[in-house]
Amino acid sequence: MSGLLAGVGLALLVVAWILHPLVTGRSAPMHRDDDELTDVQHRKRIALLALRDVEYDHHAGKLDEADYLAMKRKISAEALSALDEEERALSPGSPESLDVEAEIRALRATLREGAVCQECGNPNAAGSRFCGACGAALARARASG
Amino acid sequence: MLPELGEFALWISLPISIWGVVLAFLGGRWGRGDLVLSAERSVHAVLFLLAVASAGIIAAFLGDRFEYWYVSNYSSRNLETYFKVSGLWAGQRGSLVFWALNVAFFSSIAVWTNRARNRELMLWVSGTLLAVLAFFIVITLFITPPFERLPFTPQDGRGLNPQLQNYWMTIHPPTLYLGFTAFTVPFAFAIGALLSGRLDARWIQITRKWVLTSWFFLTLGIVFGMRWAYEELGWGGYWFWDPVENASLLPWIVATAFLHSVMIQESRGMLKVWNMVLVCLTFIMTIFATFLTRSGLIESVHSFALSLEIAYAFLGFMAVISIICLVLIVWRLPELRSERQFESFLSRESAFLLNNLVLLGAGFAVLWGTMFPLLTEGLTGSKVAVGPPFFNQVNIPIGLILLALMGIGPVIAWRRASARNLKKNFMIPIGVGLLTAGILAALGMRHVYALLTFAIGAFVLWVIVTEFWKGTRARARIEGEGAPTAFFHLIRRNRRRWGGYIVHVGVVVMFMGFAGAAFDREVRQSLEPGESVSIQSAFGHEYTLTYEGISTQRGQNMWQWIALMSVERDGRFIGPMTTERRFYEAPPQPMTEVGIRSTFYEDLYVILATLDDRVGIGNEPDFQRATFQVMVNPLVPWIWYGGLVIAIGTLIGLWPGGPVQSQRPVAGVTKPAARRPGNEPEPQPAGVG
Amino acid sequence: MSRDRRFFAGLVGVATVVTWLIWTGISDTMVYYLTPSELMDRMNATPELVEQGVKVSGNVVPGSYERSTAELLHTFLVSDPKHPEVTLTVHFRHPLPDTFSEEAEVVMEGRYMGDGVFEAHEVLTKCGSRYEAAPEEMKGDDAYGYGGTGTT
Repeated sequence: MSGLLAGVGLALLVVAWILHPLVTGRSAPMHRDDDELTDVQHRKRIALLALRDVEYDHHAGKLDEADYLAMKRKISAEALSALDEEERALSPGSPESLDVEAEIRALRATLREGAVCQECGNPNAAGSRFCGACGAALARARASG
Repeated sequence: MLPELGEFALWISLPISIWGVVLAFLGGRWGRGDLVLSAERSVHAVLFLLAVASAGIIAAFLGDRFEYWYVSNYSSRNLETYFKVSGLWAGQRGSLVFWALNVAFFSSIAVWTNRARNRELMLWVSGTLLAVLAFFIVITLFITPPFERLPFTPQDGRGLNPQLQNYWMTIHPPTLYLGFTAFTVPFAFAIGALLSGRLDARWIQITRKWVLTSWFFLTLGIVFGMRWAYEELGWGGYWFWDPVENASLLPWIVATAFLHSVMIQESRGMLKVWNMVLVCLTFIMTIFATFLTRSGLIESVHSFALSLEIAYAFLGFMAVISIICLVLIVWRLPELRSERQFESFLSRESAFLLNNLVLLGAGFAVLWGTMFPLLTEGLTGSKVAVGPPFFNQVNIPIGLILLALMGIGPVIAWRRASARNLKKNFMIPIGVGLLTAGILAALGMRHVYALLTFAIGAFVLWVIVTEFWKGTRARARIEGEGAPTAFFHLIRRNRRRWGGYIVHVGVVVMFMGFAGAAFDREVRQSLEPGESVSIQSAFGHEYTLTYEGISTQRGQNMWQWIALMSVERDGRFIGPMTTERRFYEAPPQPMTEVGIRSTFYEDLYVILATLDDRVGIGNEPDFQRATFQVMVNPLVPWIWYGGLVIAIGTLIGLWPGGPVQSQRPVAGVTKPAARRPGNEPEPQPAGVG
Repeated sequence: MSRDRRFFAGLVGVATVVTWLIWTGISDTMVYYLTPSELMDRMNATPELVEQGVKVSGNVVPGSYERSTAELLHTFLVSDPKHPEVTLTVHFRHPLPDTFSEEAEVVMEGRYMGDGVFEAHEVLTKCGSRYEAAPEEMKGDDAYGYGGTGTT
């Protein structure tokens, strides 16, 4: 008898709980968050990650100088185009990828501060006067934040 | 009362899960958030109900409720409490409930953690999860009812199979189940991505962690199973290429392939279709594994009862899933196009791709060998079997290729590598490999595959250690840290990459352990007390075992005949060792308990093969002649060490990275000087390279 | 274009190697799986098959089991379930599986040595419906020396 009661109680409890939203109209969120990566952000992320890979591979001696420069120029262009696109629809980065976001911010800072080499597209650290890749003189950089 | 309540809960979990499926899909279709919330609550409700059902089964075991068919067949009054609790997964009927419980557990976690995120995906994810749950609940309710009652109540149960009365057996199945069932979540996300059309990196990101979780449990489960076989089956081996073992290996292989190729999608936006196929395939393989182990369809030494209902149910389920996956993938094909192309044939991407192909090749070989008897019987009418020799012959070369790829991958650059660089980077590691082979050959090792394993293993270890060293050195230099700190930070900064390398180290160690099987030694001898037997190990140690006699002992559920040996190594006494013969009372069955004495690099393994029939209860000094099988298995402990290293590496890769990243979130901004390109070691590939 | 072709060549290469491995693996290691009477028929028809590896399944004849205590040698008769009059004398020199009994159904791998003697190097028992889904294999074997894992 007590078993029957417990069973019925259990069933009622569960049913009440899952029917609750239908009765009260409480709703689950149905749309994507503001902080989710957009397509552009994702492309940018990919480009920046690729840039990191290339840097690391070069540093570790797995990539030739010539290949390294050519690849870097290409990826930097990709990253820049994504960044440009993003500037137009700027939104804060996802908390999921703080690490990458930090890199992105740093890189964007470098890129925005005019440290990108006009000759070869190499993004140089803010404050650089000459391109680290091709040696060309860079436009004077402003103080970075 | 709890068993009755459990049965009731199991029954109502079915309508609730079906309700959830319907509401999730309707809610998604109509954009009704209240329906979706109700569906998500159903996931948690099903978890709760299945937990009650499982508690009911355990309560039935603990309360010796032998009126239940399942309890009476898998327990007895004198069974230890410990094994009564594990009765939940000791047999087909309970273990399917346990399986469903695990699926519900992971589903609930997935739904809960994403209650405010990834909503477009989640609409379909909860529906898919509930549909899978509903399938398993239907099976447990209508095909393998755990709460079925006997028309009478037996005095006592028939007992648990003695081979399952081992602690490894209480943790091996649950671990494996956790691995199998966790894969339901990636599958649900794949379906969610396909249905919602949100095919960007999002679902892959979420999925990767889940696949790694599942892989972690699968790997542990497989290693635990090997350990159990080694201790309990008592033949000195740990892997038999039995259909049941193969069944657990198949999803593991495909999941491994996915874990590698997913990195290419994440960082390059390529191989989208391929990854989608791998996720679906892994899930189908987990179902296939259940099908294989439970249907009894494959003629095997396993004593599974042939159950056609289960066979058809699982086959049907697999067919439905395959068709759904196929249709959805074809439908979304335009959106799944690669964003980029491979830049060079000579690149790490290619190495990954090769790894994928070879892994799937291995998987196919295992699948083919497992199904071969069934296929030949169906096609030609005559039964032909392939056994362990087939699997070893096919999989050892494949395994060696994979081993070599673990060393090649890290050295090849992403995107494009040049032959000159490769030569430079490979010279020393290959030299190390050749040197290893040379030394071992000079020491007298003639077994080709073993030599290859050690040579390639040394090559891989050298490459990985070099990677760690290079990274640590660079970091120490740039950040001005001491080497240990730099090493620690290096791993923290890119857990996936370095965790992955640690996993590879574990795999190498494990492979070396496998190769040790080529040098097993064995003697068999019949001894009277006082006589001794000697055996020389592959490492040159001489073990002498002196048989001291048999003693009899009464355990809770059994009689034990314990043979005592005293062991000398190279003439020095190193201690006593026992090996047993047991006779269980419920069920009445004999059982051999091997004696194992492990050192760092070899196991002494003793089996009490036969006893004189006249050895009765009590000590009878007259009839103590016994036959012993003594083995020395070199490097077997390395398999367990390797497993441990793999687990540690996986955990490093899985570890959530919250606080660590926020400690240096703006490293590049605050330390602009360190960010000079070409001089910057920090940026590392996204993948475990 | 040539890049794609190289990838394609790689794919075909891997597929070929795996197929070749499977093919040679099967032709090198496959064994016929016979009942005692099928084995006898086959041996009578083609005597050159004697001593070739084969897998045989059958029932242990009750009362036929003997073992020598001096050395590890088990001897028992195995009969064909369909033709109980056909029996095979089995010699086995390794520990028997724990589930072996005189009522057991056994699967053996080994060689037929002529004169009705089968030299088994592996004996596995199938237990009947005793454990509905009795989950684990019960086996004895030698050379491979592998046990099995299993899930229920």
